Order: sequence, then C-alpha cells, then structure tokens
Amino acid sequence: MTRPRNSIASARPDALLDTTTDIETPEHVRFRYRVAGPSRRAIAYVIDLLLGAIVVVVFFIFGLFGGLTDPQGGASVGVFRLIAFVVQWGYFVFWETIWNGQSPGKRMMKLRVVTSEGNPLSFIQSVLRNLLRAADFLPNVYAVGAVVMARDARFRRLGDLVAGTMVVAENTAGIIDRLDINPPPSEADLRGLPTRLPLSGDELETIEIFLRRAGRLHPHRQYELASLVAPVFARRLGVRVLDPARFLAILYWRASTSVPAKRKPAKKKKRKESIRDAA
Amino acid sequence: MTPHDDFVAERKASWDELAQLLDRWGAKRTFDGATISRIGVLYRDLCNDIVRCKAARFGPEIGAHLDVLAGRAHSRLYNTRPLRLPNAFEFVFGEFPRALRANWRFFFLSILLFMVPFALGLGLTLHSKQFAEHILPPSMLEMLTEAYQKGFDDGRDTSQNVAMAGFYVQNNVGIAFRCFATGIFCGLGSVFFLVYNGLSTGCVAGYVTASGAGANIWTFMSGHSPFEITAIFIAGAAGLEMGYSLVATNGKTRIGSLQSHAKSIAAQIVGAAVFLCIAALIEGFWSPSGIPAPVKWAFAGAGISGVTAFLLLGGRGRSTA
Repeated sequence: MTRPRNSIASARPDALLDTTTDIETPEHVRFRYRVAGPSRRAIAYVIDLLLGAIVVVVFFIFGLFGGLTDPQGGASVGVFRLIAFVVQWGYFVFWETIWNGQSPGKRMMKLRVVTSEGNPLSFIQSVLRNLLRAADFLPNVYAVGAVVMARDARFRRLGDLVAGTMVVAENTAGIIDRLDINPPPSEADLRGLPTRLPLSGDELETIEIFLRRAGRLHPHRQYELASLVAPVFARRLGVRVLDPARFLAILYWRASTSVPAKRKPAKKKKRKESIRDAA
Repeated sequence: MTPHDDFVAERKASWDELAQLLDRWGAKRTFDGATISRIGVLYRDLCNDIVRCKAARFGPEIGAHLDVLAGRAHSRLYNTRPLRLPNAFEFVFGEFPRALRANWRFFFLSILLFMVPFALGLGLTLHSKQFAEHILPPSMLEMLTEAYQKGFDDGRDTSQNVAMAGFYVQNNVGIAFRCFATGIFCGLGSVFFLVYNGLSTGCVAGYVTASGAGANIWTFMSGHSPFEITAIFIAGAAGLEMGYSLVATNGKTRIGSLQSHAKSIAAQIVGAAVFLCIAALIEGFWSPSGIPAPVKWAFAGAGISGVTAFLLLGGRGRSTA
C-alpha cells in the first residue's frame, strides 16, 4: 500500500523489524510509535460496542418509564430514535474529539488515534475514519477492514487511510532490568570470543529483542529464529555453533558486559548543561 | 553499574514526574501555566534522552519506554485544536454548501442514480403490485401497508411507532452513511446503494399507494423527505467523489489523491449528517403526529424551498475561510 505523500514515517527496511513507525517532532527528535495490531483494536472495539449498547438500553428503559408505552408517546419515541442514531454514529467521533484520539475502549487498551505524522487528529479526521467503518465492516464483522489492515505496514483500515490516521499503542512494560543470561556463560562458552565483538549496534539490538521475547516462544520456534542469524555471526567470529539461541545469549552477554563505562560521566555533564540552556 | 544503569538512575525521576503529570492531565481538562511549562521542560529533556539513548545504544527496551512517554507528552502538548462553535458553524453553513456546489456533477449523478430507479419502481408497482413483490419480501410490504392504512388522525399507534423507529434508524440513516462509505470501492458501493434504495423506496411507495393508503404514506413522507432524501443524495455525491479520487489521481498516489479530497468529502458528509438529524427530529415528532394534511404539505413545501435555497446560496458572499 502506498504511503501518504506528506508522511515522514520511515521507510528504512530495518524499521520493519517491529510494528513501529518513526515520527519527527517539531523538536527535531525522532521517536517511534508502536502501531497497534488488529487484536487489541478489536478488544477495544468490543468494549466500546458494549458501552454504546448500555447507553441505548438505559435510555430505552427510561423511555419505558417515561411513557414509551403510553399511546400518546410520540415524543419519547422521537427522543429514543434520536439517541440511537447519535450513539450509533456519533459515539467514536465524540470521544475521539474530547479525549484527543481515545474512546473509553481505546483508553482501557491504551490505544490512541494519531495522524500519520504523529500529531493529534482533528474533528474532521475523526468523522471520516468513523463513518468509513460502514465500508470496513462489510460484508460482516470488519472483514474488509481486516484485509486492508493486513496489507498495510501500519495496520490502517480504510477509514484510517482516508482520514490519514493510524492507531498507536501507548503502553510500556516500564523500565526493564538488564537482561540476565541463565545460566551465566562459562569459561568454555566465552573461549574464542573477542572482547569487542564485530557486531553492529543494530545487530545487538536485534539480538536483545529476540532474547527478551524468547521466553514467550515455543522452543522449536526459538531454535528456528535463532538459527537464521547465529551461523552468520559464527562465521564472522570463526567459531562453531551448537545451540543457536544460547550462542546469541552469550554474544549479548559478552557485548553488554564489556562496554567501557568510564567515558560516560563527562559526556553526561556536558549534555546536561546544554539542556539547561535550551530550556 | 553499566552506562545503561547510570543513565536510568540519573534520569528516572524526571521521567516518572513527566508520566505522573501526564496521568493527572488525562483526568483533568486544564492545568495551570506553571505545570504546563514544567511538562514542556520535562518533555524537551526527554527528547534529549531519546537522542542520547539512541546514540549510546542503551538498548531497545529502554528506548521503547522513552518513545512511549514522548508519544504521550507529544500528543498532549500538541493537542487537537478544540472544536469551537463559530468554526463548526462556518463549516456547516459555509464550507458544506460550497463543497457540494463544487461537486455538483456527482451530486446530480447521485440524484439520477436514486430518482430513476425510484420512478421506475413506483411506476411498475402502480402498474402491477407483483413487481414490488419481486423486489421486496411480501411480508414486509404487507406490514408497511397495514401501518399506513391506519392513518394519523390520533397519532400513530405506539407499538407501531417503536417498530418504525427501529426500522428508520437502521434504514434511512444507515443508508445515507453506507452510501457514502462504500464509495471507497471506486464509487461502486455508492452506485449500488443509491440504485437499490431508490428502487425499493419507489416500490414501497407504489405498493402502499396501490393498496389504497396513498394519501397517508405521501403525507407522512412529505415532512422529512426534503432533508432525508437530500441527505442520501449528498452522501452519495461524497461517496462518488471519494471513489473518483481513487481512479483519477492527477499524478498523485491513490492515497494522496484521496486525502487531497478529504476536506471536501468531510464537509459534505458532515452536512449530510446535520440534515439527517433534522430529518430524524421531524420524523420523530412531526410526521407521525395528528396535524392535518394540508399543514404537513405546506411544511413540506417550506422544507424543499429552504433546502434548495440553502444549498444554492449558502456560503456565498463570504471570503474563503
């Protein structure tokens, strides 16, 4: 799918390592939004659907007490009709406008709608993306939307494409401790590994992402993923690999423990001052 | 202590303070100036931290944490422009009729796509009631005929009222928005919904008239139709414009072409939504009431003239906003 013409989002191939997209702020800092996947958006949608239904049912019950069954109840029918109309089509626009891109369901799932450039969405964009739900919904339960999302690198459905928006995830696991290797590498493991590994920063980050998630993968899948890259690194280092996942863990341990720590403080102080000046 | 730990230990307090302020800001609508500038300072420091974190390769996890925090602060500090009443007013009363007039070709196409099948359905059903039964389920036609045969002299029967309410909300409002939204499929969806709804509306009107309740249904529809049917035309026109922008891209990418039409499309669909709200009000209170038919017809005349005048003249004589 083509990207919007004025998008600043990165097209670097390595950005595809994860479902993220780069944003450049007015401060000329690039940071990454994690794009929300279909399953979390679906859960948020169901929550919103239930909340909307509750509103309609509550008004309907009030309507029953207030004379909906009364033979002269034309007025309350009219009111009910209007409420059902407004809730069905206005629910998301209302919340996304007053809550800056969040509906109650999105807030619970820590999602937010932003523009493709990472800015807050406008009322008009909210109207467009939510009316186009009617097209995404076709033929049933968002089948079209799901197919379009699957084709798009940023999981945008038709409504998002027209409005120029995307949904991002705002949750974080917090600041995680450094990765521990269990059991710690033995002397034999480290034999033959230089103290400064011939690995780029990107490669080390990729290894770290893999190791952090390895626990959630089936051992066979772990093995499969690790054996994609482990032989490449092994050839570069001239060593042999028995267990690819373990090999990556040892590489990471070596790299993260051998970085010289002395240079840092001086650099930090300097940066700190420049921040003060800017602020 | 590794550089990573140093970095976290040194800066964590500042990040936590920012996260806390953002949480509180989420709950409250406004903040005093001092707190907002404090958030600004913390946010700029955070931007520095992100650059530093990237340069020093402190790892993807800490980077992801800071990115999320920066994203939250960014979307707060550069908040949505609030919806101000004068802007909304200008959008509906200026931008909308202007956008529709600029899109007049599709507006007329939309009218044709609805009215020709409507006339066809009406004429053929009046000629022979069986035609309508081929198009729509006979049980539904019977139910509608029964509903209209009762007339409105003492207001409509309540259970009928509830049934009709559900029917109309699902149908008419849904029709208009679906007409628009399915235009994304290169306009084909809009064409289908316009033709189909023109035909079925014509069949219902023809069937009820042929069953001898003609005066009732036409009087009933007269009040809200100027708004409701017009809203369907407008939604169809917006849908067709959206579909056409995907086909005739004028050298842009398809999405780019679509987004360059987004403002005009949005103005039209918001206008259609306003019309639908008016129609729903009339349909809820006015149309089923026991008001004598001549008054209802006079009201319909006023409605048609009002809508026509507004669409032709609205938003003229003002400089472009």
